[in-house]
Amino acid sequence: MNALAPFLIPLDVDPQAAPDPRHILKLLPRPVLIIGSDGVIIYANQASELSLNAVTGRGVSELFPSYHADLVRNGSYTTLLRSNRGDFFEAVFAPLDEQQYVIDLRPCIEAPATHPQDNFDELTGLVKRNSLLSHLSCALDGGQASSSVAIHCLDLDRFKMVNDTLGHSVGDLLLKKVADRLKAACRPDDVVARLGGDEFVVLQHDVEHTAAAETLAARMCDLIGRTYVINGNTINIGTSVGIAIGADPSIQASDLLRNGDLALYEAKKAGRGRFRIFEPGMDALLLQRREMEIDLRRALALKQFKLNYQPFVNVVTNRVDGFEALLRWEHPVNGNIPPLSFISLAEENGLIVKIGEWVMRTACIEAMSWPQESVVAVNVSPLQFKADTLLETVASALNRSGLPAHRLEIEITEGALLDDTDNVIQTLNALRNLGVKISMDDFGTGYSSLSYLQKFPFNKIKIDRSFVAGSGADSEAILRSIASLGTSLGMAITAEGVETAEQMARIRGERCTHAQGYLTGRPMSMDQIPAFLAENNLKEGAL
Amino acid sequence: MADGIYRLIYYSRNHIARDEGAFATDIEEILEKSRANNRRDKITGALLFNGGCFAQVLEGPLSKLEAAFERIQQDERHGDVSVLALDQIDHRSFPNWAMSFIGISDVHGKRFAGIGVSSGFDPARLGGDAIYLLLKELAIEEEDAA
Ligand SMILES: Cc1cc2nc3c(=O)[nH]c(=O)nc-3n(C[C@H](O)[C@H](O)[C@H](O)COP(=O)(O)O)c2cc1C
Repeated sequence: MNALAPFLIPLDVDPQAAPDPRHILKLLPRPVLIIGSDGVIIYANQASELSLNAVTGRGVSELFPSYHADLVRNGSYTTLLRSNRGDFFEAVFAPLDEQQYVIDLRPCIEAPATHPQDNFDELTGLVKRNSLLSHLSCALDGGQASSSVAIHCLDLDRFKMVNDTLGHSVGDLLLKKVADRLKAACRPDDVVARLGGDEFVVLQHDVEHTAAAETLAARMCDLIGRTYVINGNTINIGTSVGIAIGADPSIQASDLLRNGDLALYEAKKAGRGRFRIFEPGMDALLLQRREMEIDLRRALALKQFKLNYQPFVNVVTNRVDGFEALLRWEHPVNGNIPPLSFISLAEENGLIVKIGEWVMRTACIEAMSWPQESVVAVNVSPLQFKADTLLETVASALNRSGLPAHRLEIEITEGALLDDTDNVIQTLNALRNLGVKISMDDFGTGYSSLSYLQKFPFNKIKIDRSFVAGSGADSEAILRSIASLGTSLGMAITAEGVETAEQMARIRGERCTHAQGYLTGRPMSMDQIPAFLAENNLKEGAL
Repeated sequence: MADGIYRLIYYSRNHIARDEGAFATDIEEILEKSRANNRRDKITGALLFNGGCFAQVLEGPLSKLEAAFERIQQDERHGDVSVLALDQIDHRSFPNWAMSFIGISDVHGKRFAGIGVSSGFDPARLGGDAIYLLLKELAIEEEDAA
């Protein structure tokens, strides 16, 4: 026992007994906190109550404005924290378990001489997170009511691809150039930080109007998006920017950063190379998405997915040639959730691969029970190609169901051909060798590069509904040229979204071979198919 | 990496004000700076301008070329910079020009008609090769005339 021992033992305790560790902790002369992974204080000892005003239930970030949730994610380590009273502490973070962390705080008598290497990112020379946060706290503390600061959170689009294809040394040079361009876009008193990887944050001072922040964000999107030349390679990347404006003096540095991150998330969702300003609703949106993600993860196991089938009709014979399988999510509380609201989420978190496998298996099995040998068309997400299991999934779905390969049609969008085209084409060829048909879905909406049609002999092109519905001369011209190009390449042409007899007459005139839409049949459940086919066969006879 | 000689060709959209006087000063300034920097960096080439667009050929040691291009990229006086070509070369095509300049009002203006563009030269319609050949020819004539 050291000399402190007698001092630590309260008088009412038997001096002969071993001291209770909880008492030691409580009376330890320096602050110790235990926090949950959400940053809320679960335990505060006496010294922390006195010197930091720590209270259980408060967030640590209230005590240490520069505290950031990342601090508790990286196992145990030491960092420097400055309390809201201006005192410095050497803080040792140690995980108790996955949910709880001990923070041992040793007061620094003097303000520490900062080590430049701790504050600056070696590669780019930009400041790091800690330093950014202290700049930000200062700006928020000292801010006069008239001028606000803006936080711009950025990350780079396609950076990973550069690293993967050209190597890390080129990736590093690229990060340096990005850093240079960011500095060039900012004023000298703005702070540009690199938080790691391809994540950057800019702290903009004296933002009098939202417009000033928007101007800077637009400038950064433009500059970062311009071509780079590195080691003889021309490189194109982009950036998205999330902006959070700190106009309210009560806002915490870490909250502002989080808001910037939320806005960045929204910006990326809107498409690449954009910026978005944080709006209060964004937390709720993200929360909603998180909840949906949790539900989505369970949906497969709980058998909440169903397939509906929409017929497509051969416009020459008027026969139903087949059905496109459409995914339905029957949520027990929220009812039917349309694919548009959850597919992008499933793509984001990779669940789409598992869901896609289920769709493929189920569609093949269900098609086997149809009264006639119609084709079943199944959509495949670009991410399923990336997962590299598509061929196997299709082969085993055919095998297990006994569905002949020529009755399966796989629909891909142009998105699938965008990256890694050679690999995708290889997979497509392998699928075709199985005997499966391949069609190009939603043609005309994306990049619509006609060269894609040349790269792979699709069996069919599905022309997007917008060209079918649009009665303008443009839509018509586009419809006509895609159809005639497709037919000359020997591809079948489906017009999607055919709703009226007039549209039907028009697409017939434009050499479309198939129609799909409300006019020829709405999506229906599995058990409605026999009746639908029976009725359709009658009609066909009548024609 | 051995610093071989490379040729970079790009075109870009002019962002400088339309006002003729201010514009002439800006161009003068760009050329003056370019010539000084390029001489230092052993970069040669030609810059073509028509009011709407710039097209430029830059030749020099790769590292210097990349540094110069990065400065040019960050220049707010133009935008939408499209790199048309970046190749290693054996010989410079503009050995005597730190930056030759060819404007539309040039005596050579008639040549633009020759390549089939009547309503103003638009480099966007030309490939890197065509721009390169055009600039090379014009620069050589300029040199002869000097
Ligand atoms: C169309 C255009 C062409 C340019 N060409 C060159 C060039 O060949 N060499 C160069 O050093 N700067 C060139 N510049 C200027 C650069 O953008 C930049 O202003 C200059 O290199 C900065 O030099 P400094 O860092 O020495 O001040 C050009 C600018 C424009 C708009």
